[in-house]
Amino acid sequence: MNLRPGRWPASYPLALVIALLAFVPVGVLVGLASDSAQLFDAHNLKVLTNTLLLMLFTVLGSVAIGVPLALITAYVQLPWRKFWLILLAAPLAIPSYIGAFTLYAAFGRGGEIQQWLGLPMPTVNGLAGATLVMTLYSYPFVMLTTRASLLSLDASLVNAARTLGMTIGASLWRVVLPRVVTGIAAGALLVALYSLSDFGTPAIMRLDTFTRVIFVEYNAFGLSQAAMLSLQLLVIVGLVLFLESRVRGSKEKPGRHLTLWPSRGHKLMMALSIAPVTLLAIVLPLLVFGTWLLREGTGGFDATYAWNSAHASFLAALVAVVLAIPVAHAAIAGRAGRFMERLTYFGFGVPGIVMGTALVYVGLQLPLLYQTLALLVLAYVLRFLPLAVGSVRSTAEGLDPSLVKAARLLGASPREAFQRITLPLTLRGMVAGAALVFLEAMRELPATLMLGPTGFETLATYLWRVYEAGYFGRAAIPGLLLVLMSALGLALMLSGERRAEFDVTGK
Amino acid sequence: MQRRAFLHNLAAVGAISCLPISIQRSLAAEAGAVSVDELPKLEGDLTLYLGRGEGGLYENVLEAIRKRNPNLNLQIRRGATAALANSIVAEAKAGVRRADVFWAVDSGAVGLVSDAGLARPLPADLTGQLKPGFRYPQWAPVSGRIRTLPYNTERLTPDQIPDSVMALADSEFAIGWAPAYASFQSFVTAMRLLQGEKATEEWLRGVSRNATSYAGELGVVMAVERGEVDLGFANHYYTLRLKNGKPDAKVDLAFTNNDAGCLVNASGILALSEGDLPINFIRYLLTREVQSYLATEAYEIPLVNGVKPPQGLPPLSTISPPKVDLTQLADLRPTLNLMRRVGVL
Repeated sequence: MNLRPGRWPASYPLALVIALLAFVPVGVLVGLASDSAQLFDAHNLKVLTNTLLLMLFTVLGSVAIGVPLALITAYVQLPWRKFWLILLAAPLAIPSYIGAFTLYAAFGRGGEIQQWLGLPMPTVNGLAGATLVMTLYSYPFVMLTTRASLLSLDASLVNAARTLGMTIGASLWRVVLPRVVTGIAAGALLVALYSLSDFGTPAIMRLDTFTRVIFVEYNAFGLSQAAMLSLQLLVIVGLVLFLESRVRGSKEKPGRHLTLWPSRGHKLMMALSIAPVTLLAIVLPLLVFGTWLLREGTGGFDATYAWNSAHASFLAALVAVVLAIPVAHAAIAGRAGRFMERLTYFGFGVPGIVMGTALVYVGLQLPLLYQTLALLVLAYVLRFLPLAVGSVRSTAEGLDPSLVKAARLLGASPREAFQRITLPLTLRGMVAGAALVFLEAMRELPATLMLGPTGFETLATYLWRVYEAGYFGRAAIPGLLLVLMSALGLALMLSGERRAEFDVTGK
Repeated sequence: MQRRAFLHNLAAVGAISCLPISIQRSLAAEAGAVSVDELPKLEGDLTLYLGRGEGGLYENVLEAIRKRNPNLNLQIRRGATAALANSIVAEAKAGVRRADVFWAVDSGAVGLVSDAGLARPLPADLTGQLKPGFRYPQWAPVSGRIRTLPYNTERLTPDQIPDSVMALADSEFAIGWAPAYASFQSFVTAMRLLQGEKATEEWLRGVSRNATSYAGELGVVMAVERGEVDLGFANHYYTLRLKNGKPDAKVDLAFTNNDAGCLVNASGILALSEGDLPINFIRYLLTREVQSYLATEAYEIPLVNGVKPPQGLPPLSTISPPKVDLTQLADLRPTLNLMRRVGVL
């Protein structure tokens, strides 16, 4: 960008305000926690252990599933490659608490599986259950990031290794994997963040993690204790974010990538190893919901829940994209802008329950905002703004700056150049970013429970209510709708920003 | 038979307003409670904070009231009873008032709000309809419930279950409970008042060795029925409702003797804002129609004079509940601290 020295780019002041806004919740929490909270006790230690173990096991599980699947989807020549890729990425469209809900109901004595097949099944709960659920729904993060790295490799090194007598397995292990470690790490860190911030899964699996204990404290209106726990959780989140910023691998010149032709036996083996994952993560929830739908019908469901979900999420997506534009442009314009952008990323690391705790307090101080849709939308925006920023920035970065320069040369004002050149060309990124925010806001649970206006029931809160009351059958319609809408959002997102990544290249 | 059919009809469509005249007369013969027909229409905006835990049954009552009063704009905020009680107090502190009426599934939460001086006094003719022993100046009990021990009939026989709740702390039964649930917290408060802080702490520690936590008490009863645990702590109606839907359910009720384990508690309602509307809304919940509905469909114990108790519950005369003033159950804070200290919350 052409800047006059000594002057800030136009996007800076706005971006600064937005970045500071993103930091408000943390300030509120510090204020609340200094009130009268106990810093640490024996129970806290158990909660900390549970939280860290869940994170660790989920990351290990996701890597164990995600990396082999990345190898298969990237290199192995299979019929219907695109179909397999979409099927294996599909758990991303299912909020993990829906998985937890259906797995919990399906397993155990008298669970759905026992009712279908008459086989007694072990109960799925606790740390093992939560790990299983979190792994099933977050391995696609690892699979997608690893796959992207794999596709950027040049196969000639593997070919060299093969000519020198290394087996295919050994060359994958010793030549390919070390070069995609950064990709694996990026996915693993996303998984870690996700497992730290999720509330529904530990709650349904009855595992005391930070998010669940914060919710209990909030329910007893121990706001200061909830704030203290939130800050402890944020320290862990901060550490993970710091680690993420450390992992930035060098880029390799992309070349022709590896293609593997499996034998019939290999195909069978792969199918057998993929089947349990897909069965548990996708087929089982849909079957359970289907059974409930047949058994109990659509009773109790009101179409306004879906409308409320869509409405609030749409507003959040809109606001987030509008705010993302100055932040993204500031990030491109210079170092200070990049720092401001980093600040907004903090919101994404703040779990919904923590954001909710902080904003309930803000609302109580500003009665005009308390229990309004505006406050709920603000919570969504603060949490999911980075998704929009990332999307807008990556398209804006890809823009050829000479186009803007040409427009300026031809006499367009900076505003006109922005409106007529930059804006239309970054529209796709904005749509993708908006879709991503919409998707996340739609399934957000704890902040919605805490901040929603009176009588404002969304698909997610209705699901939670049904779960708490034990009327599982009524979860079928909202559950299926949520999955369907998530899938649409995911499709829209993939068709925009990540087209390149998803394109099955090598054709 | 006609009466049952009518009540089922009420359950299905929630239409209090379409009673045939003859049935109204036969109900009126029971005396005591007022009929909805005698009440004024409700008009205006009313925000109700509704303690969660009753699933669809309270909803059906509210829906029926809405249908009958088209000019009533009733907004409902649902949440855990204790959370809502705390919210109301926190809102009052911040100078914000959102709720006009608070219907709690538990009298402890009601006491928490009325102790904060937020409840408006109720007129004497309203409280006078209630059974003696359930008349309070600040709030109205809507329905009663008894603490029970639901047990799995395949795993336990009645004589294996001690008749003292305190004895369960030393037992090796697998126990299900819902520590975050308001009724459970009131039960612990009652234990604290009856047995003292120390004994309660030891009891909590003892039981938590073999306890599994559930989100709500229906969850507890379902877990008992599935055989996930041997027995649990829950209000009586969850078991009766489960057995109503599934007659061969492997669960039955046991009662302890004269201790917190068989505490009789009540769901209650109070008015937070001035005016006739909240009071008249409360009157609707105490009508014969709503009270009979809650007794037959929700298996709750009606607290208004002259409405029959639910089926399947042993006669109240055979149960020996402890003597606890329900308003004292409001002393929730020490209970929460205690539960937190033991690590069950």
